[in-house]
Amino acid sequence: MSTTRCCNPRILNSPEDKPKPKSSSATSSSKMPARSFHSYDHPPPPGPFNETERAILSAAYAHVPQHGFTSEALALGARDAGYLDISTNLLPNGSFDLIRWHLVTRRDALVQKSKELEAAGMRTGDKVFALTWERLMGNRDVLVQWQEALAIMAQPSYVPASLKELAQLVDDIWFLSGDTAVDPSWYTKRASLSAIYVGAELFMTNDRSPDFADTRAFLRRRFDEVGEFGSALGSVGEWLSFTASAGVNVLRSKGAPI
Amino acid sequence: MAPSRALIRPTASLLSHARTPTSALLRQHTRLASTTSSSELPPPPQSASPPLPDPTHPSPTNQLPPPKLKALTAAQRAFLSSCLRVNQAGELAATLIYTAQTPLVVGREPHLKPLMQHMYDQEASHLSTFNALIHRHRVRPTALYPLWSVMATGLGWSTAVLGREAAMACTEAVETEIGNHYNAQIRALLEMVAAWEEEGYEVGAEFRELIGTLRRIRDEELEHLDHAVEHDAQKAEPHWLLTGVIRAGCKGAIWVSERV
Repeated sequence: MSTTRCCNPRILNSPEDKPKPKSSSATSSSKMPARSFHSYDHPPPPGPFNETERAILSAAYAHVPQHGFTSEALALGARDAGYLDISTNLLPNGSFDLIRWHLVTRRDALVQKSKELEAAGMRTGDKVFALTWERLMGNRDVLVQWQEALAIMAQPSYVPASLKELAQLVDDIWFLSGDTAVDPSWYTKRASLSAIYVGAELFMTNDRSPDFADTRAFLRRRFDEVGEFGSALGSVGEWLSFTASAGVNVLRSKGAPI
Repeated sequence: MAPSRALIRPTASLLSHARTPTSALLRQHTRLASTTSSSELPPPPQSASPPLPDPTHPSPTNQLPPPKLKALTAAQRAFLSSCLRVNQAGELAATLIYTAQTPLVVGREPHLKPLMQHMYDQEASHLSTFNALIHRHRVRPTALYPLWSVMATGLGWSTAVLGREAAMACTEAVETEIGNHYNAQIRALLEMVAAWEEEGYEVGAEFRELIGTLRRIRDEELEHLDHAVEHDAQKAEPHWLLTGVIRAGCKGAIWVSERV
Protein backbone atom coordinates (compact mmCIF):
# COMPACT_ATOMS: atom_id res chain seq x y z
CA MET A 1 0.00 0.00 0.00
CA SER A 2 2.62 2.46 1.11
CA THR A 3 4.51 1.87 -2.10
CA THR A 4 1.78 3.23 -4.31
CA ARG A 5 2.45 6.62 -5.73
CA CYS A 6 -0.64 8.42 -4.56
CA CYS A 7 -0.41 7.22 -0.98
CA ASN A 8 3.15 8.30 -0.45
CA PRO A 9 3.03 10.89 2.33
CA ARG A 10 6.38 12.32 1.27
CA ILE A 11 4.75 13.42 -1.95
CA LEU A 12 1.64 14.60 -0.14
CA ASN A 13 3.60 16.91 2.09
CA SER A 14 6.15 17.96 -0.48
CA PRO A 15 6.56 21.71 -0.91
CA GLU A 16 5.49 21.43 -4.53
CA ASP A 17 2.81 24.02 -3.84
CA LYS A 18 5.32 26.84 -3.38
CA PRO A 19 3.77 29.90 -4.98
CA LYS A 20 5.51 30.08 -8.30
CA PRO A 21 4.83 32.47 -11.15
CA LYS A 22 1.90 30.84 -12.77
CA SER A 23 1.68 30.95 -16.50
CA SER A 24 -1.65 30.48 -18.13
CA SER A 25 -0.34 28.43 -21.00
CA ALA A 26 -2.83 25.92 -22.25
CA THR A 27 -0.41 23.05 -21.82
CA SER A 28 0.35 23.73 -18.16
CA SER A 29 -3.32 24.06 -17.33
CA SER A 30 -4.26 20.84 -19.06
CA LYS A 31 -1.73 18.97 -16.94
CA MET A 32 -3.69 19.77 -13.79
CA PRO A 33 -6.37 17.24 -12.97
CA ALA A 34 -9.60 18.42 -14.51
CA ARG A 35 -11.65 17.56 -11.48
CA SER A 36 -10.36 16.96 -8.02
CA PHE A 37 -11.32 16.95 -4.37
CA HIS A 38 -13.27 20.12 -3.69
CA SER A 39 -12.78 21.33 -0.13
CA TYR A 40 -15.27 23.57 1.65
CA ASP A 41 -12.87 24.46 4.48
CA HIS A 42 -9.56 25.00 2.77
CA PRO A 43 -8.80 27.99 0.57
CA PRO A 44 -9.36 27.17 -3.10
CA PRO A 45 -6.38 26.41 -5.33
CA PRO A 46 -5.10 29.30 -7.43
CA GLY A 47 -7.31 30.01 -10.42
CA PRO A 48 -6.17 29.68 -14.02
CA PHE A 49 -5.15 33.36 -14.30
CA ASN A 50 -2.90 35.51 -12.13
CA GLU A 51 -3.61 39.11 -11.21
CA THR A 52 -1.88 40.77 -14.18
CA GLU A 53 -3.45 38.37 -16.61
CA ARG A 54 -6.85 39.05 -15.11
CA ALA A 55 -6.38 42.81 -15.46
CA ILE A 56 -5.30 42.60 -19.10
CA LEU A 57 -7.85 39.97 -20.11
CA SER A 58 -10.85 41.62 -18.50
CA ALA A 59 -9.97 44.91 -20.19
CA ALA A 60 -9.32 43.16 -23.51
CA TYR A 61 -12.60 41.28 -23.26
CA ALA A 62 -14.49 44.58 -23.66
CA HIS A 63 -12.92 44.92 -27.12
CA VAL A 64 -13.87 41.43 -28.29
CA PRO A 65 -17.29 42.27 -29.81
CA GLN A 66 -15.55 44.76 -32.10
CA HIS A 67 -12.11 43.27 -32.68
CA GLY A 68 -12.73 39.60 -32.09
CA PHE A 69 -10.56 37.21 -30.07
CA THR A 70 -7.42 38.71 -31.57
CA SER A 71 -4.10 40.20 -30.56
CA GLU A 72 -5.53 43.66 -31.37
CA ALA A 73 -8.14 43.21 -28.66
CA LEU A 74 -5.39 42.07 -26.28
CA ALA A 75 -3.16 45.05 -27.09
CA LEU A 76 -6.06 47.48 -26.62
CA GLY A 77 -6.92 45.78 -23.36
CA ALA A 78 -3.34 45.99 -22.10
CA ARG A 79 -3.33 49.70 -22.89
CA ASP A 80 -6.68 50.19 -21.10
CA ALA A 81 -5.37 48.37 -18.05
CA GLY A 82 -2.33 50.64 -17.94
CA TYR A 83 0.24 48.22 -19.30
CA LEU A 84 2.49 48.54 -22.31
CA ASP A 85 1.31 46.92 -25.54
CA ILE A 86 4.23 44.52 -25.30
CA SER A 87 2.91 43.11 -22.03
CA THR A 88 0.52 40.90 -23.99
CA ASN A 89 3.60 38.67 -24.23
CA LEU A 90 2.66 37.60 -20.73
CA LEU A 91 -0.08 35.61 -22.39
CA PRO A 92 1.80 33.03 -24.44
CA ASN A 93 -1.28 31.70 -26.18
CA GLY A 94 -2.54 35.12 -27.20
CA SER A 95 -6.02 34.91 -28.56
CA PHE A 96 -6.67 31.49 -27.02
CA ASP A 97 -6.08 32.96 -23.56
CA LEU A 98 -8.74 35.51 -24.34
CA ILE A 99 -11.11 32.73 -25.40
CA ARG A 100 -10.32 30.82 -22.25
CA TRP A 101 -11.03 33.95 -20.22
CA HIS A 102 -14.45 34.06 -21.85
CA LEU A 103 -15.08 30.37 -21.13
CA VAL A 104 -13.96 30.55 -17.51
CA THR A 105 -15.81 33.76 -16.61
CA ARG A 106 -19.05 32.64 -18.31
CA ARG A 107 -18.80 29.32 -16.49
CA ASP A 108 -18.19 31.00 -13.14
CA ALA A 109 -21.25 33.19 -13.71
CA LEU A 110 -23.41 30.06 -13.55
CA VAL A 111 -22.85 29.83 -9.79
CA GLN A 112 -24.85 33.01 -9.23
CA LYS A 113 -27.57 31.87 -11.64
CA SER A 114 -27.85 28.52 -9.91
CA LYS A 115 -28.51 30.29 -6.61
CA GLU A 116 -31.40 32.17 -8.23
CA LEU A 117 -32.79 28.93 -9.62
CA GLU A 118 -32.38 27.28 -6.23
CA ALA A 119 -34.34 30.11 -4.62
CA ALA A 120 -37.05 29.67 -7.26
CA GLY A 121 -37.35 26.03 -6.20
CA MET A 122 -36.78 24.41 -9.60
CA ARG A 123 -36.40 20.68 -10.15
CA THR A 124 -32.97 19.28 -11.04
CA GLY A 125 -33.88 18.51 -14.65
CA ASP A 126 -35.25 22.01 -15.21
CA LYS A 127 -32.20 23.52 -13.60
CA VAL A 128 -29.92 21.64 -16.00
CA PHE A 129 -31.86 23.08 -18.92
CA ALA A 130 -31.94 26.58 -17.44
CA LEU A 131 -28.20 26.61 -16.69
CA THR A 132 -27.33 25.28 -20.14
CA TRP A 133 -29.48 28.01 -21.64
CA GLU A 134 -27.88 30.60 -19.38
CA ARG A 135 -24.44 29.52 -20.55
CA LEU A 136 -25.47 29.70 -24.22
CA MET A 137 -26.77 33.21 -23.60
CA GLY A 138 -23.33 34.02 -22.22
CA ASN A 139 -22.09 33.78 -25.81
CA ARG A 140 -24.61 36.35 -27.02
CA ASP A 141 -22.36 39.41 -26.79
CA VAL A 142 -19.50 37.78 -28.67
CA LEU A 143 -21.63 35.69 -31.02
CA VAL A 144 -20.39 37.33 -34.23
CA GLN A 145 -16.84 36.35 -33.25
CA TRP A 146 -17.74 32.93 -31.95
CA GLN A 147 -17.28 30.85 -35.11
CA GLU A 148 -13.75 32.19 -35.36
CA ALA A 149 -13.21 31.35 -31.70
CA LEU A 150 -14.45 27.81 -32.27
CA ALA A 151 -11.94 27.47 -35.10
CA ILE A 152 -9.11 28.56 -32.79
CA MET A 153 -10.28 26.15 -30.09
CA ALA A 154 -10.20 23.34 -32.64
CA GLN A 155 -6.49 23.87 -33.37
CA PRO A 156 -4.67 20.72 -32.27
CA SER A 157 -2.57 22.35 -29.56
CA TYR A 158 -5.65 23.91 -27.95
CA VAL A 159 -7.98 20.92 -28.21
CA PRO A 160 -7.03 19.37 -24.83
CA ALA A 161 -7.56 22.64 -22.94
CA SER A 162 -10.82 23.29 -24.80
CA LEU A 163 -12.15 19.83 -24.03
CA LYS A 164 -11.16 20.24 -20.41
CA GLU A 165 -13.13 23.47 -20.25
CA LEU A 166 -16.12 21.71 -21.80
CA ALA A 167 -15.83 18.91 -19.24
CA GLN A 168 -15.68 21.41 -16.39
CA LEU A 169 -18.66 23.28 -17.79
CA VAL A 170 -20.94 20.25 -17.93
CA ASP A 171 -19.66 19.05 -14.56
CA ASP A 172 -20.51 22.43 -13.07
CA ILE A 173 -23.96 22.40 -14.66
CA TRP A 174 -24.81 18.99 -13.22
CA PHE A 175 -23.34 19.77 -9.82
CA LEU A 176 -24.97 23.19 -9.55
CA SER A 177 -28.27 21.64 -10.57
CA GLY A 178 -28.07 19.42 -7.52
CA ASP A 179 -27.61 16.10 -9.30
CA THR A 180 -26.29 13.56 -6.80
CA ALA A 181 -25.71 10.53 -9.07
CA VAL A 182 -22.35 8.85 -8.41
CA ASP A 183 -22.87 5.68 -10.44
CA PRO A 184 -22.07 5.15 -14.14
CA SER A 185 -24.81 7.64 -15.03
CA TRP A 186 -22.34 10.25 -13.76
CA TYR A 187 -20.44 9.64 -17.01
CA THR A 188 -23.39 9.28 -19.38
CA LYS A 189 -24.99 12.45 -18.05
CA ARG A 190 -21.87 14.47 -18.63
CA ALA A 191 -21.22 12.95 -22.04
CA SER A 192 -24.74 13.59 -23.30
CA LEU A 193 -24.83 17.14 -21.97
CA SER A 194 -21.47 17.84 -23.67
CA ALA A 195 -22.86 16.66 -26.99
CA ILE A 196 -26.03 18.73 -26.55
CA TYR A 197 -24.13 21.82 -25.55
CA VAL A 198 -21.66 21.67 -28.45
CA GLY A 199 -24.49 21.12 -30.92
CA ALA A 200 -26.56 23.98 -29.53
CA GLU A 201 -23.56 26.30 -29.48
CA LEU A 202 -22.87 25.64 -33.16
CA PHE A 203 -26.55 26.02 -34.02
CA MET A 204 -26.67 29.34 -32.22
CA THR A 205 -23.90 30.88 -34.35
CA ASN A 206 -26.26 30.73 -37.35
CA ASP A 207 -29.46 31.55 -35.49
CA ARG A 208 -31.04 34.86 -36.56
CA SER A 209 -34.40 34.38 -34.83
CA PRO A 210 -35.48 36.94 -32.22
CA ASP A 211 -34.15 36.11 -28.75
CA PHE A 212 -32.67 32.92 -30.21
CA ALA A 213 -36.04 31.19 -30.09
CA ASP A 214 -34.83 28.62 -32.64
CA THR A 215 -31.82 27.74 -30.50
CA ARG A 216 -34.05 27.33 -27.48
CA ALA A 217 -36.36 25.00 -29.43
CA PHE A 218 -33.31 23.10 -30.69
CA LEU A 219 -32.00 22.72 -27.14
CA ARG A 220 -35.40 21.58 -25.89
CA ARG A 221 -35.61 18.91 -28.61
CA ARG A 222 -32.13 17.57 -27.76
CA PHE A 223 -33.03 17.36 -24.06
CA ASP A 224 -36.26 15.52 -24.85
CA GLU A 225 -34.45 13.04 -27.11
CA VAL A 226 -31.87 12.22 -24.45
CA GLY A 227 -34.63 11.83 -21.89
CA GLU A 228 -36.52 9.36 -24.10
CA PHE A 229 -33.39 7.42 -24.93
CA GLY A 230 -32.36 7.29 -21.29
CA SER A 231 -35.71 6.02 -20.10
CA ALA A 232 -35.80 3.38 -22.86
CA LEU A 233 -32.33 2.22 -21.82
CA GLY A 234 -33.42 2.18 -18.20
CA SER A 235 -36.47 0.06 -19.03
CA VAL A 236 -34.35 -2.48 -20.88
CA GLY A 237 -31.95 -2.68 -17.95
CA GLU A 238 -34.80 -3.13 -15.50
CA TRP A 239 -36.34 -5.89 -17.62
CA LEU A 240 -33.01 -7.70 -17.89
CA SER A 241 -32.29 -7.62 -14.17
CA PHE A 242 -35.85 -8.67 -13.32
CA THR A 243 -35.66 -11.62 -15.72
CA ALA A 244 -32.28 -12.69 -14.39
CA SER A 245 -33.32 -12.59 -10.74
CA ALA A 246 -36.64 -14.33 -11.53
CA GLY A 247 -34.70 -17.08 -13.35
CA VAL A 248 -32.34 -17.57 -10.43
CA ASN A 249 -35.27 -17.72 -8.01
CA VAL A 250 -37.11 -20.31 -10.14
CA LEU A 251 -34.00 -22.50 -10.16
CA ARG A 252 -33.61 -22.04 -6.39
CA SER A 253 -37.22 -23.06 -5.86
CA LYS A 254 -36.48 -26.28 -7.79
CA GLY A 255 -33.70 -27.00 -5.28
CA ALA A 256 -30.71 -26.06 -7.43
CA PRO A 257 -27.80 -25.16 -5.15
CA ILE A 258 -27.20 -21.73 -6.63
CA MET B 1 -0.73 -3.10 6.79
CA ALA B 2 1.66 -4.59 9.32
CA PRO B 3 -0.61 -4.86 12.37
CA SER B 4 -3.41 -6.63 10.62
CA ARG B 5 -1.20 -9.11 8.87
CA ALA B 6 0.65 -9.79 12.09
CA LEU B 7 -2.71 -10.49 13.62
CA ILE B 8 -3.92 -12.87 10.98
CA ARG B 9 -0.75 -14.80 10.36
CA PRO B 10 -0.17 -16.22 13.88
CA THR B 11 -3.78 -17.28 14.24
CA ALA B 12 -3.79 -18.96 10.89
CA SER B 13 -0.53 -20.77 11.48
CA LEU B 14 -1.64 -21.93 14.91
CA LEU B 15 -4.79 -23.32 13.45
CA SER B 16 -3.08 -25.08 10.60
CA HIS B 17 -0.61 -26.72 13.00
CA ALA B 18 -3.45 -28.14 15.04
CA ARG B 19 -5.08 -29.95 12.19
CA THR B 20 -8.24 -30.86 14.09
CA PRO B 21 -8.55 -28.28 16.80
CA THR B 22 -11.06 -28.86 19.52
CA SER B 23 -13.80 -26.32 19.62
CA ALA B 24 -12.46 -24.94 22.90
CA LEU B 25 -9.02 -24.42 21.39
CA LEU B 26 -10.53 -22.81 18.35
CA ARG B 27 -12.66 -20.52 20.41
CA GLN B 28 -9.61 -19.48 22.35
CA HIS B 29 -7.79 -18.59 19.18
CA THR B 30 -10.68 -16.73 17.74
CA ARG B 31 -11.20 -14.83 20.95
CA LEU B 32 -7.54 -13.92 20.78
CA ALA B 33 -8.11 -12.72 17.26
CA SER B 34 -11.09 -10.62 18.18
CA THR B 35 -9.55 -9.06 21.26
CA THR B 36 -6.28 -8.19 19.62
CA SER B 37 -7.95 -6.76 16.60
CA SER B 38 -10.12 -4.43 18.62
CA SER B 39 -7.50 -3.35 21.12
CA GLU B 40 -4.31 -3.25 19.09
CA LEU B 41 -5.37 -2.70 15.55
CA PRO B 42 -7.50 0.43 15.50
CA PRO B 43 -4.97 3.00 16.63
CA PRO B 44 -2.26 3.10 13.98
CA PRO B 45 1.12 4.32 15.23
CA GLN B 46 0.43 7.88 14.16
CA SER B 47 -2.83 8.14 16.05
CA ALA B 48 -0.76 8.81 19.16
CA SER B 49 -0.47 12.37 17.93
CA PRO B 50 -3.97 13.83 18.30
CA PRO B 51 -5.39 15.55 15.26
CA LEU B 52 -6.56 18.45 17.38
CA PRO B 53 -4.34 21.51 17.45
CA ASP B 54 -2.60 21.86 20.75
CA PRO B 55 -4.31 24.68 22.67
CA THR B 56 -1.36 25.04 25.06
CA HIS B 57 0.91 25.94 22.21
CA PRO B 58 -0.33 29.27 20.91
CA SER B 59 0.43 29.56 17.24
CA PRO B 60 1.08 33.05 15.89
CA THR B 61 -2.10 32.77 13.87
CA ASN B 62 -4.43 32.39 16.85
CA GLN B 63 -5.25 36.10 16.88
CA LEU B 64 -6.86 35.92 13.46
CA PRO B 65 -10.60 35.40 13.72
CA PRO B 66 -11.08 32.99 10.77
CA PRO B 67 -9.35 29.61 11.06
CA LYS B 68 -6.12 29.62 9.13
CA LEU B 69 -6.12 26.66 6.83
CA LYS B 70 -3.48 25.79 4.32
CA ALA B 71 -4.61 25.39 0.73
CA LEU B 72 -4.54 21.78 -0.38
CA THR B 73 -1.82 21.04 -2.88
CA ALA B 74 -2.61 19.37 -6.18
CA ALA B 75 -1.04 16.15 -4.89
CA GLN B 76 -3.14 16.26 -1.74
CA ARG B 77 -6.34 16.85 -3.67
CA ALA B 78 -5.47 14.02 -6.04
CA PHE B 79 -4.84 11.78 -3.04
CA LEU B 80 -8.14 12.69 -1.39
CA SER B 81 -9.98 12.13 -4.67
CA SER B 82 -8.47 8.71 -5.11
CA CYS B 83 -9.25 7.87 -1.46
CA LEU B 84 -12.93 8.63 -1.84
CA ARG B 85 -13.12 6.96 -5.24
CA VAL B 86 -11.51 3.70 -4.13
CA ASN B 87 -13.52 3.64 -0.89
CA GLN B 88 -16.78 4.03 -2.75
CA ALA B 89 -15.81 1.25 -5.16
CA GLY B 90 -14.82 -0.95 -2.22
CA GLU B 91 -18.05 -0.46 -0.31
CA LEU B 92 -20.06 -1.00 -3.48
CA ALA B 93 -18.26 -4.31 -3.95
CA ALA B 94 -18.81 -5.24 -0.30
CA THR B 95 -22.57 -4.68 -0.45
CA LEU B 96 -22.76 -6.74 -3.63
CA ILE B 97 -20.67 -9.57 -2.16
CA TYR B 98 -23.01 -9.83 0.82
CA THR B 99 -26.09 -9.48 -1.39
CA ALA B 100 -24.92 -12.40 -3.50
CA GLN B 101 -23.86 -14.54 -0.51
CA THR B 102 -26.85 -14.04 1.75
CA PRO B 103 -29.54 -16.18 0.01
CA LEU B 104 -27.17 -19.13 -0.40
CA VAL B 105 -25.61 -19.01 3.06
CA VAL B 106 -28.90 -18.34 4.83
CA GLY B 107 -30.65 -21.00 2.75
CA ARG B 108 -28.27 -23.61 4.12
CA GLU B 109 -27.91 -22.23 7.64
CA PRO B 110 -30.81 -20.00 8.64
CA HIS B 111 -29.24 -19.11 11.99
CA LEU B 112 -26.70 -16.95 10.12
CA LYS B 113 -29.41 -14.64 8.83
CA PRO B 114 -29.04 -11.93 11.52
CA LEU B 115 -25.26 -11.88 11.06
CA MET B 116 -25.42 -11.56 7.28
CA GLN B 117 -28.11 -8.91 7.60
CA HIS B 118 -26.05 -6.99 10.15
CA MET B 119 -22.93 -7.03 7.96
CA TYR B 120 -24.91 -6.06 4.88
CA ASP B 121 -26.61 -3.18 6.67
CA GLN B 122 -23.28 -1.79 7.83
CA GLU B 123 -21.80 -2.04 4.33
CA ALA B 124 -24.86 -0.35 2.84
CA SER B 125 -24.50 2.53 5.30
CA HIS B 126 -20.78 2.83 4.42
CA LEU B 127 -21.67 2.94 0.74
CA SER B 128 -24.20 5.72 1.25
CA THR B 129 -21.63 7.61 3.34
CA PHE B 130 -19.09 7.51 0.53
CA ASN B 131 -21.69 8.24 -2.14
CA ALA B 132 -22.54 11.41 -0.26
CA LEU B 133 -18.86 12.34 0.19
CA ILE B 134 -18.09 11.73 -3.50
CA HIS B 135 -20.92 14.02 -4.48
CA ARG B 136 -20.13 16.66 -1.88
CA HIS B 137 -16.45 16.89 -2.75
CA ARG B 138 -17.09 16.63 -6.48
CA VAL B 139 -14.94 13.56 -7.01
CA ARG B 140 -15.30 11.49 -10.14
CA PRO B 141 -16.66 8.02 -9.34
CA THR B 142 -14.67 5.05 -10.60
CA ALA B 143 -15.06 4.49 -14.33
CA LEU B 144 -14.99 0.71 -13.80
CA TYR B 145 -18.16 0.72 -11.70
CA PRO B 146 -19.91 -1.91 -13.88
CA LEU B 147 -16.82 -4.14 -13.84
CA TRP B 148 -16.58 -4.03 -10.03
CA SER B 149 -20.31 -4.77 -9.79
CA VAL B 150 -20.01 -7.90 -11.91
CA MET B 151 -16.80 -9.09 -10.25
CA ALA B 152 -18.08 -8.55 -6.70
CA THR B 153 -21.35 -10.35 -7.40
CA GLY B 154 -19.42 -13.19 -9.01
CA LEU B 155 -17.03 -13.42 -6.06
CA GLY B 156 -19.84 -13.43 -3.51
CA TRP B 157 -21.88 -15.97 -5.40
CA SER B 158 -19.03 -18.38 -6.16
CA THR B 159 -17.67 -18.41 -2.60
CA ALA B 160 -21.19 -18.94 -1.24
CA VAL B 161 -21.67 -21.89 -3.61
CA LEU B 162 -18.49 -23.42 -2.16
CA GLY B 163 -20.06 -23.35 1.29
CA ARG B 164 -20.30 -21.28 4.43
CA GLU B 165 -16.60 -21.67 5.29
CA ALA B 166 -15.55 -20.38 1.87
CA ALA B 167 -18.00 -17.50 2.11
CA MET B 168 -16.56 -16.57 5.50
CA ALA B 169 -13.01 -16.97 4.19
CA CYS B 170 -13.94 -14.53 1.44
CA THR B 171 -15.14 -12.06 4.08
CA GLU B 172 -11.98 -12.64 6.08
CA ALA B 173 -9.71 -11.99 3.09
CA VAL B 174 -11.61 -8.96 1.84
CA GLU B 175 -11.93 -7.32 5.25
CA THR B 176 -8.23 -7.91 6.00
CA GLU B 177 -7.26 -6.05 2.85
CA ILE B 178 -9.84 -3.35 3.46
CA GLY B 179 -8.67 -2.88 7.04
CA ASN B 180 -5.07 -2.45 5.85
CA HIS B 181 -6.21 -0.12 3.15
CA TYR B 182 -8.18 2.12 5.51
CA ASN B 183 -5.27 2.13 7.95
CA ALA B 184 -2.92 3.31 5.21
CA GLN B 185 -5.32 6.09 4.29
CA ILE B 186 -5.80 7.21 7.88
CA ARG B 187 -2.05 7.19 8.39
CA ALA B 188 -1.49 9.38 5.32
CA LEU B 189 -4.23 11.79 6.42
CA LEU B 190 -2.80 12.04 9.93
CA GLU B 191 0.60 12.78 8.44
CA MET B 192 -0.94 15.61 6.44
CA VAL B 193 -2.55 16.93 9.62
CA ALA B 194 0.73 16.64 11.54
CA ALA B 195 2.56 18.56 8.82
CA TRP B 196 -0.03 21.34 8.93
CA GLU B 197 0.16 21.60 12.70
CA GLU B 198 3.93 21.73 12.55
CA GLU B 199 3.67 24.75 10.27
CA GLY B 200 1.16 26.45 12.57
CA TYR B 201 -1.92 25.89 10.44
CA GLU B 202 -5.24 24.76 11.81
CA VAL B 203 -7.20 21.69 10.83
CA GLY B 204 -10.76 22.17 9.63
CA ALA B 205 -13.85 20.31 10.78
CA GLU B 206 -14.19 18.81 7.32
CA PHE B 207 -10.89 17.00 7.68
CA ARG B 208 -11.47 15.90 11.24
CA GLU B 209 -14.84 14.47 10.29
CA LEU B 210 -13.33 12.63 7.35
CA ILE B 211 -10.70 11.01 9.55
CA GLY B 212 -13.32 10.14 12.16
CA THR B 213 -15.55 8.56 9.50
CA LEU B 214 -12.69 6.51 8.12
CA ARG B 215 -11.77 5.28 11.60
CA ARG B 216 -15.33 4.28 12.41
CA ILE B 217 -15.72 2.43 9.13
CA ARG B 218 -12.34 0.74 9.50
CA ASP B 219 -13.37 -0.55 12.94
CA GLU B 220 -16.64 -1.89 11.59
CA GLU B 221 -14.86 -3.67 8.75
CA LEU B 222 -12.47 -5.31 11.20
CA GLU B 223 -15.49 -6.40 13.24
CA HIS B 224 -16.69 -8.26 10.15
CA LEU B 225 -13.28 -9.90 9.98
CA ASP B 226 -13.76 -11.17 13.53
CA HIS B 227 -17.25 -12.43 12.75
CA ALA B 228 -15.91 -14.32 9.75
CA VAL B 229 -13.13 -15.93 11.79
CA GLU B 230 -15.65 -16.87 14.50
CA HIS B 231 -17.74 -18.60 11.85
CA ASP B 232 -15.07 -21.01 10.67
CA ALA B 233 -13.52 -18.92 7.92
CA GLN B 234 -10.24 -20.68 8.55
CA LYS B 235 -11.77 -24.12 8.11
CA ALA B 236 -12.29 -23.42 4.42
CA GLU B 237 -10.42 -25.79 2.16
CA PRO B 238 -7.93 -24.73 0.87
CA HIS B 239 -7.89 -21.66 3.08
CA TRP B 240 -4.51 -20.33 1.94
CA LEU B 241 -5.48 -20.51 -1.71
CA LEU B 242 -8.88 -18.87 -1.30
CA THR B 243 -7.69 -16.02 0.88
CA GLY B 244 -4.51 -15.59 -1.14
CA VAL B 245 -6.36 -15.26 -4.42
CA ILE B 246 -9.04 -12.98 -2.99
CA ARG B 247 -6.53 -10.76 -1.24
CA ALA B 248 -4.44 -10.43 -4.37
CA GLY B 249 -7.61 -9.57 -6.30
CA CYS B 250 -8.54 -6.95 -3.71
CA LYS B 251 -5.10 -5.38 -3.89
CA GLY B 252 -5.31 -5.22 -7.66
CA ALA B 253 -8.79 -3.73 -7.57
CA ILE B 254 -7.70 -1.10 -5.03
CA TRP B 255 -4.69 -0.22 -7.16
CA VAL B 256 -6.83 0.20 -10.26
CA SER B 257 -9.67 2.08 -8.54
CA GLU B 258 -7.27 4.63 -7.10
CA ARG B 259 -6.34 5.54 -10.66
CA VAL B 260 -9.32 4.96 -12.93
